[in-house]
Amino acid sequence: MEALKNAFDFSDQPRLDMTIAGAVGTLFLIFPLLPLSAFALATMIQFFIFSLYGMGWNTIGGYGGQVDLGKAQYVGIGAYTTAVLLIRWDIPFWFSMPIGVVFAVTWSFIIGYPLFRLKGHYFAIATIATSLVLKDLFEVWEFVGAARGLEISPIEYVPPDFLRLIFKEDIYYYYVIFVFFLAGLLFLNWFRKSRLGYQLRAIKDNEDVARSLGINVHWAKIKTYAIATAYVSVVGSFHACYIKAIEPEDTMSLDISILIALMAMLGGAGSLWGPIIGAGILIPLKSYLKEWLGGMSGLAGMDLILYAVIIMVISAKEPRGVWGIVERIRRRKRT
Amino acid sequence: MEIIASSLAAGLLFGMVLALVALGLTIIFGVMDIINFAHGEFLMIGMYTALLTAQALGIDPLLTLPLAALVGFLLGVACYKGFISYILRGPMIAQLLGTFGLMLLLRNIALLVFGSEDRAVHQGLLVNKSFDIGLGIIIPATKLAGAGLSVVAFVAVWLLMHKTRMGKALTATALNPQGARYMGISTEKMNALAWGIGAGTVTMAGALIVNFWPVNPYVGLLFTMIAFTIVALGGFGSVPGAFFAALVVGLITEIPGFWDFLTYTLEWDWMFDVPMTSFKYMWIYVAYFIIMVVRPRGLFGWKH
Repeated sequence: MEALKNAFDFSDQPRLDMTIAGAVGTLFLIFPLLPLSAFALATMIQFFIFSLYGMGWNTIGGYGGQVDLGKAQYVGIGAYTTAVLLIRWDIPFWFSMPIGVVFAVTWSFIIGYPLFRLKGHYFAIATIATSLVLKDLFEVWEFVGAARGLEISPIEYVPPDFLRLIFKEDIYYYYVIFVFFLAGLLFLNWFRKSRLGYQLRAIKDNEDVARSLGINVHWAKIKTYAIATAYVSVVGSFHACYIKAIEPEDTMSLDISILIALMAMLGGAGSLWGPIIGAGILIPLKSYLKEWLGGMSGLAGMDLILYAVIIMVISAKEPRGVWGIVERIRRRKRT
Repeated sequence: MEIIASSLAAGLLFGMVLALVALGLTIIFGVMDIINFAHGEFLMIGMYTALLTAQALGIDPLLTLPLAALVGFLLGVACYKGFISYILRGPMIAQLLGTFGLMLLLRNIALLVFGSEDRAVHQGLLVNKSFDIGLGIIIPATKLAGAGLSVVAFVAVWLLMHKTRMGKALTATALNPQGARYMGISTEKMNALAWGIGAGTVTMAGALIVNFWPVNPYVGLLFTMIAFTIVALGGFGSVPGAFFAALVVGLITEIPGFWDFLTYTLEWDWMFDVPMTSFKYMWIYVAYFIIMVVRPRGLFGWKH
């Protein structure tokens, strides 16, 4: 009960933030009812998916300061578990999603134990390496469709199927992922005020001091890594049902992992709203750039060039992200 | 027996080329503690430089080495002056993502300019020639020349770093930037120089690799990961370490092919479904992971 109360308690946030959050939340709630294109709705779903990935990354990467660039492997585990169970044994989403989480968390413990002996750059590259190993394995594993991937054919089911999460219209998906989004936000709100959350911030500031205070640094990191993994895996399962065709290249590639970390950095790593702001900027930008420029002949890759320039400018000029700017303005006002 | 000998030879030759690929990464890391994701993209640019110059002038790609090195040097210095110097002071995540942005930029510019199809060298002095050096070892001439020239370039850079005044200043910056600054060494210049040499060596390696490896804009990431593995195994910042580690990694790339040959000769049917060569490069990532966990300093590392 205490935990639940804590999750709903946003009283330490400034009133202005909560007003804005409430307004934006209301806008999200009525968004599908607005007369907008199907493309806008699909972009919004992508936004929710990636802000959830970003929230997961934020626990270990933002609060804990461990730069993890291998989150895509858990997207893959979640997505593949759901797809395989649905196609082979007709197990619905709500059962396969927890199974996927169990797989993902188990894998995160197996690799997390050795991984967290590493620090800094070494840790970051090792997470990339594990992710690429898993991707290579999935690309030759015949059981999960190898490089062709898997396809959930919607004809076999009668939409709307709430149990298997097979719908025809995006509006159903929108509200499902919106509920996930709210739940994820509440959990993150609880997490940052929990014992583990405080331990993690102590570790980020100074690992040796944290250890001398009696914090089991290694174990705290592994636990947080598992939480981050669970977030990503749940959304990966949703992704499988939403996209309906998954392959190693677009669920587990390095680009996905980088995008997740990038969004959190752009918004402001280690803050509650950071990943959401980051996703809110990057995802629409990315999909509209692709829509406008990607289709033009002779301009292949033009959208990605602009995207790369944006990444470079942010990391050079404002590495603390949008939230860093907000905090700086506030500090100036106070003094 | 023959298969073992030729696997060994092929692995060692490839390893010698890889040593030149990894050299730049280890110099850059040693001098300024930054991981460069765009490393493989520099290699890709070196490959295109050699290929296109050779085709335009009608000369052998091997003769374009100095040009590739020059292009790489200028590119490296430009990247440092224009971008890297701004992210050096930022947090680690900004550095990682910043060089990733650089990688995306170079890759997609290449895609825009050169198109996405594979291109390969079809004619040249050495293409499609090979030596039979006995014991059943047949070595393609391009690989032999690539390996030989790599070793020459590697030794030249090593001499540059240890015997010249400039190289000593570079090493001093790597060991202790603040101390080097007190001694009147311009660390800013040294950083730019490290990027110049780092990118110049890797584009040279690219000009060698293009003789036996088709090039497309996406070729970079694989070599970036290989270079990371080599640098991790050799020890971050260690130049001789990079050379020996590269030989080891070169041999690792030959194991899967050797294994498949073994399963076919011994008729282990249960292995036929999944030939090891289909995840040839996975073993490099596995090797990286194991090395980092077991011995984070690498074989010859002095930075941790």
